[in-house]
Amino acid sequence: MNKLLLAALVSGAMAVPAFAADYTIMAPAAPGGGWDQTARSIQEALTAEGISGNVQVTNVPGAGGTIGLAQFATQESGNANALIVGGYVMVGAILTNASPVTLDNITPIARLIGESDVIVVPANSELQSMDDLVAKLKADPGSVSWAGGSAGGVDHIIAGLVAKAVGVDPTKVNYIAYSGGGEALAAVLGGQVTVGISGYGEFESQIAAGELRALAMSGENQMDGIPTLSETGVDVTVENWRMIAAAPDITDEQKAAITADIKKMAESATWKSILETKGWVDMYLDGDAFDTQLAADIESTTTVLKDIGLVQ
Amino acid sequence: MDTFGLLAAGFAAALQWQNLIYAFIGVTLGTAVGVLPGIGPALTVALLLPVTYRLDPAGSLIMFAGIYYGGMYGGSTTSILLNTPGESASIVTALEGNKMARKGRGGPALATAAIGSFVAGLIATLAMAFVAPWLVRIAISFGPADYFALMVLAFVTVSAAFGDSALRGVTALFIGLGLGVIGIDLQTGQARLAFGIPDLLDGIEVTTLAVALFAIGETLVVAAARGGLDDDIVAVKGSIWMTMEDWKRSWPAWLRGTLIGFPIGAMPAGGAEIGTFFSYAAERRLTKHPEEFGHGAIEGVAGPEAANNASAAGTLMPLLTLGLPTTATAAIMLAGFQQFGLQPGPLLFTNNAQLVWALIASLLVANFMLLVLNLPLIGVWVRLLTVPKPWLYAGILLFATLGTLGANGAMSGNLFGLRFSFELMMLLGFGILGYVLRRFGYPIAPVVIGLILGPLSEQQLRRALAISQGDPMVLVHSPLAISLYVIAAAAVLVPLWFRLRGKGQVFSQLAADED
Amino acid sequence: MTTGSNPQRRPDGAAFVIALILAGIAVVIFWQTSIMRLPAHQARVGPQVFPYAIAGGLLLLAIGTAVSAWRGSFPARPRENYGPALWIVGGLLGQILLVSSLGFSLASGVLVACTAKAFGRGPMWFTFLCGAVFAFIVWFIFARGLQLSLPAGPLERLIP
Repeated sequence: MNKLLLAALVSGAMAVPAFAADYTIMAPAAPGGGWDQTARSIQEALTAEGISGNVQVTNVPGAGGTIGLAQFATQESGNANALIVGGYVMVGAILTNASPVTLDNITPIARLIGESDVIVVPANSELQSMDDLVAKLKADPGSVSWAGGSAGGVDHIIAGLVAKAVGVDPTKVNYIAYSGGGEALAAVLGGQVTVGISGYGEFESQIAAGELRALAMSGENQMDGIPTLSETGVDVTVENWRMIAAAPDITDEQKAAITADIKKMAESATWKSILETKGWVDMYLDGDAFDTQLAADIESTTTVLKDIGLVQ
Repeated sequence: MDTFGLLAAGFAAALQWQNLIYAFIGVTLGTAVGVLPGIGPALTVALLLPVTYRLDPAGSLIMFAGIYYGGMYGGSTTSILLNTPGESASIVTALEGNKMARKGRGGPALATAAIGSFVAGLIATLAMAFVAPWLVRIAISFGPADYFALMVLAFVTVSAAFGDSALRGVTALFIGLGLGVIGIDLQTGQARLAFGIPDLLDGIEVTTLAVALFAIGETLVVAAARGGLDDDIVAVKGSIWMTMEDWKRSWPAWLRGTLIGFPIGAMPAGGAEIGTFFSYAAERRLTKHPEEFGHGAIEGVAGPEAANNASAAGTLMPLLTLGLPTTATAAIMLAGFQQFGLQPGPLLFTNNAQLVWALIASLLVANFMLLVLNLPLIGVWVRLLTVPKPWLYAGILLFATLGTLGANGAMSGNLFGLRFSFELMMLLGFGILGYVLRRFGYPIAPVVIGLILGPLSEQQLRRALAISQGDPMVLVHSPLAISLYVIAAAAVLVPLWFRLRGKGQVFSQLAADED
Repeated sequence: MTTGSNPQRRPDGAAFVIALILAGIAVVIFWQTSIMRLPAHQARVGPQVFPYAIAGGLLLLAIGTAVSAWRGSFPARPRENYGPALWIVGGLLGQILLVSSLGFSLASGVLVACTAKAFGRGPMWFTFLCGAVFAFIVWFIFARGLQLSLPAGPLERLIP
């Protein structure tokens, strides 16, 4: 056994040289998840570009990131070396879990990447376009079953927003929650549900293969010729973005320094090539523009979660 | 090129000498980390995946295959020898395997697990290569109602793990079901039984419960029974190799386990552990040595281990052909594949044929390498039992807490200003529960099974009814669901009928209430 | 506590306690589920059905356990030594409470020392030292080699 451990040690040592930590990034998710991958990609880019000598990633999973968020806000206050990864999912989770710590308790730095949701139907579905779906939804909301991620998550929120935008009672949305987009994909492919709604990446290859028909994207821009919801006459624009934030109570100079580091990283070749391999869309946005965007997202999410009946 | 030609090309890539070395390192690392109690395959793969990034695509792929199979296999070693499974899929292995180890038959138990894993891995990987697209079509046609029927069947088979009292077995199952309710309800987003504690919102982690009940509970039992006469473990009695009798009893179990595990692993909502339950139940029904079950029957190790590995290969099918990760391990692997430039999905076999076939060949090579590595090591592993108890159990506790901390490092508790990990506190609490349950003769496995099956069956039932807008007839709508219910009914009624006919010594134990 | 080993099959007090605990859990599930907030859109099988069914089952099992305890049909329990088990529980508690401040190695040293004590191995300063050194090596492999996030303390911070 000792020999085996030694082997682990040797190959581990090859992988990571040890330096003093410049930044610690908290991924408020389990190893392997989306936020963990984001945190580790930032780690890779920061070190490879020489922006930071060493970056450590810590994982604090649980409750849509709110457990990590609470721990970060209370323990890292004023620490200019501490960063946390977060995203739109956290906005919803803070509301549904009635989390005492919110995004106001940390210092958002920049939105880094984003992904648009896509609404799909099986190739043999009678629904040809978004118009058909809207008509069916108006005729009998219960007859349209939506497969997506967990209740109160971004997929559910978009389904609720779509219903509301076309004048259907959002509480009547027949939303079937699956654990993760993968299971939802199986349900759509197997024809178990009427439509599927999840991140574009989850459905991308099936759309390309012609197994699924994409009706609309939830984001601002078209992807591969798929129209956005606004273009189909449904006034909804939501992107599932991921961001990086710093600790509360840091000085403006410290915030500016972190923002500069992150901006440098986001413009680096390493970061671009990571986005390429992971299939992530660059949505870099910082400063006041990001703050405005964040406030708008929080407001619309609060309204729709109340409309769906998940938040009081 | 036809399938054989592609596979041959894949082998040509995998069998280069430096790739063989990578495979060997991968298998060694996977086994070394996977063997630690409390560290399951998902964490093993997540931890070791970055190690592979430094190599060229073919090399990293083959090393990764080794890590995956090594991690899957490593878990069974400690569950057999020390009764401390590191993940839910090797719980069933511990049932009979540990009884064998206590009788000095740890060698044959490890051997049948290793060879069974190899046989299952071989058949399942080959099956994956040839029938993947076709089987996946069938698998996705499974609707929520069919899954619910499958869960009903699984509940029926749980009785095989009940031990000598149905009352205590059902109680253990219900404790698990009760734990399964805790957390945010997936369908409505509302918290259930969370008592306002944020850490409970995600529910009870199966790994934490399994490691606590088995590893911590076992340690407490051994410590409390110190000086007791019945606890002397014999490290080795007789040969550490399998006898002719062992072979004869093992090979049908390997094949049955493979047959059960592979399709269940391939289902988008199957999961490795359910295959092991079915396999154990099947072996228990079909054995010619029913009296040995519960006391170290080799079929009870051979079948579930094969099922576990076959479903691990089965899991790769929806992953590769649909881009559909069905387990935590698979989700991490998906991230890995993207790193290697593989984009799983329906176009994978056409767009990335070369890499896919290299992966399949790598899996076969890794599988073989695993056997080569582990058979000679059995002698070393068995000697684990001769490690003095203070060090052995201190090590088990150390790695159990390390695995739990590594998977969930949140320091969210606070006691007198000391911050602590709530997850570790749960580990301790469930460990004490495990001790109490054992002390009063309750079986442990049904608690974990309840925690796994409860939420699955509830979600599938509610999905089925939501899609049908409340029409209960949807549950018996498909021929598949109906046949599953018929099998479940037969599994309950046939033994009962035998018993009423007075021929039922074989089955009486299963249904007997007390004593 | 040794009534179970009595061939006369007298009622088993400890088993009655188990029956009571099961009934208590059932009541808690009933109560917590009944005060749960429900979403506006009601499904036929909502989030309360399973908890209620499980609570009902636990109540029945509590009754069954009570009957079984009355008949004294629980398996015999050997007399046990609680001291060593308490040492282990204490060691785990110590590690859990100390790990965030002392770091993984030193806190695990406490765990190892207490476990060794439970199994009759000492002296504790020696086992603590062995445990801390071993845990430090393990920490180094996992935290530095494999990037697992494990709590660091004064000892771990010595390594730059």
